[in-house]
Amino acid sequence: MLRPNFKYELKQLLRSNWLWLLCIILISLFSFATYNGLKKVEAREALIASAKAKTQENDTKMLKTLDSLEQGLEVHLKPWDLPSDPIVVGSDHPRVAAMPAADFTFLATGQSDLFAHYKKPKVYGGGIIEDFTEMTSPVQLLFGSFDLAFVIVFLLPLLIIAFSYNVLSAERESGTLRLLAAQPIGIRTWVLQKLLIRFFWLSVLVLVSLIGVLLVFKADPFTNISGLLGLLGLVLVYMLFWFALAFLVNLWVGSSAKNAVAMLGLWIGFVLLVPSMLNQLGTTIYPMPSRTLMINELRARQADATERQDEILDNYLRDHPEYAVNDTTETRNFWHGYMASQNLLRDEIKPVTDRYNAQLKKQQRWVNRFKWLSPAVTIQESLNKLAGTATSDYENYREQVLAFSEEWRAHFMPFLYNNQKFAKADYPDLPRFEYQKQDQSQMASIPMLLLISLVLFGLGFLASRNMKSGGILNQA
Amino acid sequence: MITTNDLTKKYGGHIALDNLNLNVKEGEIYCLLGANGAGKTTTINLLLGFIEPTSGSAFINQLNVHENPKATKQFLAYIPENLMLYPSLTAVENLDYFSGIAGKKPTTTALKGFLEDAGLQPEAYDKRTSTFSKGMRQKVGIAIALAKDAKVLLLDEPTSGLDPKASNEFGNLLQKLRKKGVATLMATHDLFRAKEVATHIGIMKGGQLKQQFMADDISLSQLEKAYLNTMDYKETVS
Repeated sequence: MLRPNFKYELKQLLRSNWLWLLCIILISLFSFATYNGLKKVEAREALIASAKAKTQENDTKMLKTLDSLEQGLEVHLKPWDLPSDPIVVGSDHPRVAAMPAADFTFLATGQSDLFAHYKKPKVYGGGIIEDFTEMTSPVQLLFGSFDLAFVIVFLLPLLIIAFSYNVLSAERESGTLRLLAAQPIGIRTWVLQKLLIRFFWLSVLVLVSLIGVLLVFKADPFTNISGLLGLLGLVLVYMLFWFALAFLVNLWVGSSAKNAVAMLGLWIGFVLLVPSMLNQLGTTIYPMPSRTLMINELRARQADATERQDEILDNYLRDHPEYAVNDTTETRNFWHGYMASQNLLRDEIKPVTDRYNAQLKKQQRWVNRFKWLSPAVTIQESLNKLAGTATSDYENYREQVLAFSEEWRAHFMPFLYNNQKFAKADYPDLPRFEYQKQDQSQMASIPMLLLISLVLFGLGFLASRNMKSGGILNQA
Repeated sequence: MITTNDLTKKYGGHIALDNLNLNVKEGEIYCLLGANGAGKTTTINLLLGFIEPTSGSAFINQLNVHENPKATKQFLAYIPENLMLYPSLTAVENLDYFSGIAGKKPTTTALKGFLEDAGLQPEAYDKRTSTFSKGMRQKVGIAIALAKDAKVLLLDEPTSGLDPKASNEFGNLLQKLRKKGVATLMATHDLFRAKEVATHIGIMKGGQLKQQFMADDISLSQLEKAYLNTMDYKETVS
């Protein structure tokens, strides 16, 4: 039965122009999404490059100034702008802590609409918690980005629904099913074969058009073969899931109209409702502490620390005798007190920020535990991980920036408390930031979705086990 | 070839078929006559395994239909009242497809031979069936039976809606198949065609087989009278 099904299914699809239509739609969607994604990546890379170039330019000026100062030449700068002051270097010449785009970042915007991709931690200011809440266009946030992940997660299932909802009902409605059912075949097996053949051809179309589009747009998919295979694997299992649902609906429901409504209902459920419900339940079960209250608490503690700066500095020097040796009341300035208070403040506010972060992690864990309820959530997350734009990637980046911020401040402490000037020779020792992408496997979703699909196919067979041909023939 | 033993089908309290006992041997054409709802189509659906009997049993080539649904379908061909084919495929392709899923692999020449035997004009072989008349589709249906080498042919109102010429051609085809030893069960309203092609005729009413005749033992007018009597039209006729 497979050979004639395979041969004539393709003929019918070609003659009905279905495959051509799908081909055009897929190439258009993939092209537009890839173009959008690549533009975003270009913009991000350009921003990072521009920030780095500016830093380089500033550094060149700073080194020239330091050189002049060290040669005893006169420089036309205000005393508080002189780079021989370590606090000036730590504040006015920060390093760029950038999160460069990964090979497949164009694939999924993920959280990149919410977060900046570079930071310049300074020795003072908002470095304590770092501001990671920047936003781009709220309109874009409202509608989401038209990237490849959007096409795969949201639109591809709609094409599969259009391609598969009436495999059995169309036969019934056109009258060919009675002739088919009179042949020595099992109707369930026949439906399964038809759907798997359609899955095969759609997979060929999707993979060929996707790789073709990536090559046309010079996205270089073959530079990261494991990533490419991961992407293709994710797309295929996600498509298989929707075909498995179509199998269930074809056997269980009835007329083409009812099948279409049922499939669209399932799409709304799996793609829109379940993710939204998971998110809603997560925030209800693990409510986030108010960010406003957190900021207020931080400010109150900051104000308190400022008032007690002298006392804090004395305590700090008592704890750091290596600095106290060079301390004279005459050489103390604002920065000695300020930096000491910041160190204390960081320790004091840690429980507050930890509480906030712990609750966020609980929410994420809760969503992760139930993400299998929606293959859309699973695939979106896997694509985000592949693209390096997942929540966990930004969390990883945030932690690295905070650690670097700490390292940056700590680097200037000996200069400050030893009353040592910053020299040209100290420049090469300045800490540098190198983003370390965490290794995340997005492949765990593949066996999970494969298993779910197989369960759905099995359910289809089980549920229709007692349904004789007559039942299938007469469904309405 | 076709046997039913006390075959009964009930839908709730309604008896669609009541203890039907039939036996159609090789080379016989058995026509079931009856009004709508007499149980003709139910009989065919039961023989095809499309529905489960409430009691009794049906056999095709000595195999119980409901115990061996796929095996019995190896032996039978079915032509419904309105036989539909895949409109985007040609006659040869439709025939190849249905033969293929039945497990046969005839060559293109053989396929065309079956279509020729079924009386389809050669110029229609490679035309898409979307343009075919009902008569042409019925011929492809007969070709499917030939390609499948069916021993049993089940026909449900095959001549309804056919013009007299097409209906006559269809009758001739059935005779050809009869000579090859095919056992045919045909449900029809058409007394004239039944008398023309059948070897045996049965009249059904309310799910019961009320009368049976050897076709050669009865004239068309006697058949008509017997039919109307069975249908309780006695007063009108007299």
